[in-house]
Amino acid sequence: MVLEVLLVEDSKTQAAQIAEMLESVGLRVRVAYDGPDGLREAMDNPPSLIVLDVKLPTMDGFQVCRRLKRSPSTQDIPVIMLTEKAGPKATMSGLRAGADDYIPKDIFASEHLMETLEELGILQE
Amino acid sequence: MTEEQSVLRYKMRPPVLNVQVEDSMDIMIVRDTTRRAASLLGFSPAYRAQLATAAASLAELVLKTGEAHTLNLNGVIDGIKDGLQISAETPWLQGVSANNVLVALKSKMGDLVDEVMLVNNPTPTIVMIVWVRS
Repeated sequence: MVLEVLLVEDSKTQAAQIAEMLESVGLRVRVAYDGPDGLREAMDNPPSLIVLDVKLPTMDGFQVCRRLKRSPSTQDIPVIMLTEKAGPKATMSGLRAGADDYIPKDIFASEHLMETLEELGILQE
Repeated sequence: MTEEQSVLRYKMRPPVLNVQVEDSMDIMIVRDTTRRAASLLGFSPAYRAQLATAAASLAELVLKTGEAHTLNLNGVIDGIKDGLQISAETPWLQGVSANNVLVALKSKMGDLVDEVMLVNNPTPTIVMIVWVRS
C-alpha cells in the first residue's frame, strides 16, 4: 500500500522539492498551499503523515498543528514541522502545538526527515 | 548541594562527541551531531529537536564572542535516568556573576533544557542537560 503524505507549504518551489524527495522513497504526496486548505485536506481525507511549514499565509503552522491535534479525526496523524524558523521559541511553540518533530530547513533536513519517517514507521528500512 | 557540585555527581556515559565551532556553518553540524547523539540515547524525535535547538543556541551564543570553541556532547546517568549533557567552555565568563549568566541563559533557553549550570572546571563552562522521559 502506498502511504500518503499531506505537505502544507506555501512556496511552490520548496513544495516541489520536498514532494520530489518524499516521492523518491515511494510516498504519494498531496500539497496544500496555506493553513486552512491544509486543515480541510487533512480532515476530508486523512493522510498517513503531515509535513507542515511554519510561515504560511492566513494561519501559521503552529495554529494548524494545534487544530490538527485537537480534532479527533486528525489528532493521531504524525506532524513534522519543516521550517526556516529554528530558534528556541519557535521550536518550543512547534513541539507544544503537538508536532512529532521540528526540523529546520538546513543541509541536513532531508536526512533528518527520512530518519524520522523511518522511526514513525512511514518508511520501511 | 551547589549547582557546581551537582554536575559532578552525574556519571558520564557514551556517546561522547565534540564539535569544533568556527563559523555559522558549523551550527548546522552541531544540530546534526546533537540529533544523532540524542537518537543513540533513545530520545524521541521531538526531544531530539529540542536538544538540537538547545545545542545550536549555545553554539551561536558562544560564537558571538568571536572565538572558535568546542561544543561537547555526552551521555549522563543519574540513577535510572539517562540524559544528554551539552557543554562549552566560556573562559570570558571568568569573574562574571554566575547568577546573571544563569538568568540570561534560562531566559534564552526557556523550557528547552531541564538543567542549566555554570561550573568552574577550572575554566567557566556552561552545562545544559535534558533527561530522557520514559
